[in-house]
Amino acid sequence: MNYGIVLKVLGSILIVLGFLMIPSFVIALVESGPDRTPFLITILLTLAIGFFLFFKERKEKSISAKDGLAIVAFGWVAASLLGAIPLYLSGVTENYVDAFFEIVSGFTTTGATILTDVESMPAGIAFWRSFTHWIGGMGILVFTLALLPALGIGGFQIFKAESPGPVTGKIAPRLKDTAKILYITYITITLAEVLLLYLGGMSIYESFIHTFGTVGTGGFSNRADSVGAYTSSYIHMVIAFFMVASGVNFALYYSFFRGRVTDLLKDEEFKLYIGIIVIATLAITVDLWLVSYHNFFYSLRDSFFQVASIITTTGYSTADFDQWPTFTKGILLLLMFVGASAGSTGGGMKVIRILVMLKLIKREVGKLYHPRAVMPVKVNNKVMNNETIARINSFLALYIVLFIVSTLLVSLEQIDLISAGSAVAATLGNIGPGLELVGPVQNYAFFSIPTKLWLSLLMLMGRLELFTIIALIAPKNWRIDV
Amino acid sequence: MKAMIVGAGKLGTKLAEFFVAEDMDVTVMDSNIKVLERLNEHLDVLTVTANGIDIKMMRDLNIEAYDLLVGSTENDETNTLICTLAKKLGCKQTIARIRNPEYMEQIDFIKSELGIDHIINPDLATAVAMEKYLMKSYSFYTDDFASGKVQMVDFNIGSNYEFANRKIMDLVGLENLLITAISSNGELTIPNGSTRLNEGDIIHIIGNTKEIEKFSHRLGEDYHRKLISKVMILGGGNVGYYLAKRLCKNKIQVTLIEQDRQRCQELSEKLDNVLIIHGDGTDIHLLEEESLSSMDAFIGVTGFDEENLLMALMAKQSGVGKTIAKISRSNYIKIINRLNIDAAINPVYITASSILKYIRGGKVVSVSLLLGGNAEVTEIILDKDLPIIGKSLMELDFPKGMIIGAIVRDNDVIIPKGNSVLLENDRIVVFCLSDDLSGLKMFFKQKKGGFLSELWNRS
Repeated sequence: MNYGIVLKVLGSILIVLGFLMIPSFVIALVESGPDRTPFLITILLTLAIGFFLFFKERKEKSISAKDGLAIVAFGWVAASLLGAIPLYLSGVTENYVDAFFEIVSGFTTTGATILTDVESMPAGIAFWRSFTHWIGGMGILVFTLALLPALGIGGFQIFKAESPGPVTGKIAPRLKDTAKILYITYITITLAEVLLLYLGGMSIYESFIHTFGTVGTGGFSNRADSVGAYTSSYIHMVIAFFMVASGVNFALYYSFFRGRVTDLLKDEEFKLYIGIIVIATLAITVDLWLVSYHNFFYSLRDSFFQVASIITTTGYSTADFDQWPTFTKGILLLLMFVGASAGSTGGGMKVIRILVMLKLIKREVGKLYHPRAVMPVKVNNKVMNNETIARINSFLALYIVLFIVSTLLVSLEQIDLISAGSAVAATLGNIGPGLELVGPVQNYAFFSIPTKLWLSLLMLMGRLELFTIIALIAPKNWRIDV
Repeated sequence: MKAMIVGAGKLGTKLAEFFVAEDMDVTVMDSNIKVLERLNEHLDVLTVTANGIDIKMMRDLNIEAYDLLVGSTENDETNTLICTLAKKLGCKQTIARIRNPEYMEQIDFIKSELGIDHIINPDLATAVAMEKYLMKSYSFYTDDFASGKVQMVDFNIGSNYEFANRKIMDLVGLENLLITAISSNGELTIPNGSTRLNEGDIIHIIGNTKEIEKFSHRLGEDYHRKLISKVMILGGGNVGYYLAKRLCKNKIQVTLIEQDRQRCQELSEKLDNVLIIHGDGTDIHLLEEESLSSMDAFIGVTGFDEENLLMALMAKQSGVGKTIAKISRSNYIKIINRLNIDAAINPVYITASSILKYIRGGKVVSVSLLLGGNAEVTEIILDKDLPIIGKSLMELDFPKGMIIGAIVRDNDVIIPKGNSVLLENDRIVVFCLSDDLSGLKMFFKQKKGGFLSELWNRS
């Protein structure tokens, strides 16, 4: 590994991070909150480290694939370590590990919280916590890529590692332009939602907080009852719509705006994604209507919101879905694994992988009847090559293994299996709330420190497509190649 | 500038590398996804898996927004068709690679009727470069600039006592010449006065053509100085054919050895006055029978780099004056300099140079890529609006990998010193390592880089 360039790029990430903390600091200043000094200290510290690394290290010719992976993994860990400092210093969390968990949960757009009382948080901290969703949603490195000139060789590696999904394509010849297009789309969607929420009667501050949580598919709120704190169905629907919109591959929006409307409707992943949402919503609506709500409209409203929230791995809730019928909870648990589309801000396994898996199953069945048939797996009329399929398979296998092993580890906390399992599914899939003890009105505060650290690791793995972090942990990759 | 390259073979990949270095938006199209995946890992380009003749795909990619399309697939017809289609769909300029000699004979008609702006023929370009070299009276490799007024020579100092183990400032007889670069063991560096030369280094010298000739005569005693009259060509592919044809015109006796019986037949029909031998070119007895040792030059242009290299070495050992090998892969560059071969010519670089010159257009007169592609020599006419006009070289803080080799002003060749001043309409020959190409652009193009890119490049 080429430590020089890794440290230099890390430096530039930290500089960007330092500047990104400034809005929260300004809010803290305006509100004269207790979080002013913590923010100031953290910004100065982050910038100092950032500039130090940036100017100390010499520019190298290029970044190798390995360096790219290290940059992504270290970048996220470093951003979380520094981003957690304001929470700890302002006394919002009791210890630093809690603060770290909270900010990892923010950056990875999970939305799992260890705070027992979110409403008493200083305004600056609440803003920062939600803002990390927004940054993490599209990726802090993609943001850095958009600002910095091409990182040369390996830049694509960084982009690939940070952008969710098995097949990452650029939408412009240059990485920098691709990153810019993605961020422009992202900012447009963000501003649209802020405006619509503001028009629905939410304060501008809360509109921002909930928009960050929505478009980043994070799920942090400054209200204990999450979105349920607002009674307006309009607000519920605006948020639900934007959650669904943020779970769509952003590259599709780009071709949509360039006038290729049919691309969106023809995209197989998009069709399956919408299909799952419709079917799950209908199934839950009927279940809620007959078993608990006895009112069709409210059943439809709440089930659509919850399905949108879970499949996009946001984690907002308008009702305590832990109290809903078992069948409904089962569907929601399944949706936690499905996740959003590739190239979106959402987490989970990603719809495209499920799609490929279904097609593989279909192919195997077909081969039983026609053993010598040649049946390539096609997505959007393009043949998927075997390596991509193999990568998808090993991803799914690793996901399951991580889920099982982690559930076992978390069950050491002496909690029931549903709580343990859903806590793991909700962190690995970057959703946030699970069921039972970690349900929507509960929180993660009761876990022990080792468990919190393990869950933080799961969140990072989930956000960075598992392999990035695992590759970094493998000690083989630590050697310096001369 | 937006460019599309269709066909990611050796040429397509190299072009993509050069275009990226030129700061262009590059899209590469190929039907082989594996090649593209590999490309994507080390180049910042957009890759598209598709067939270049797919009109719908071309439309989807918004081809009318492209300034340039290069057809560099294996197939001449495909390239032509792609270029014509792209042009009709609105692409501003198209360049096609065409190798078939029969097409080349009617190339002007093809160009004008099919809307192709520029045709590149790597085989022909290679043959021309080889011919140019063979016609020179000395045996090290040279390149011409400023319509022949300035030359650059690559000279292997071997163990010549005048050079080896001396510092550059102690060298005598180099007053009007400039050593722009030293390549030792394949590593190129730009020297200063206190750089010490080692045995076996190759020095790249730029200067007035007359001075260069004087220099070469002084050193040339142990080289063949008589003109070439007998040449042996190994390999009867397109390059071999073009070269044989051109040499014939210069009244040179050519012996061409080709392995394939049918190809021999074809060649013998097309080429008059060339002795076509059917046989295995690696068979040393055959070569000796055809009196290899009495040849003035030996050229290896088979499809195999290894064969070309080894047979050229063998020929050198048998006492042939000039030996040239065609090398298509850049992998061997580092060792070639150490081998006793007079010139190794890479068709890909020759072609890429001509395309680069074409796209830089206007004030750029010529571009030559050095073997290995890790440096280039560019000839530029200075525009009056450039910020460097009127400044002396000392004031301009050029990057380490860039040096001005010569200034041509009103037909005079000036070898620049620290106090030389650049004026409008000067024709300059710049030697630049590829790592510092961005510097070339910074100084000789009016281009505004962002603050951040400035910061990144400087620190």
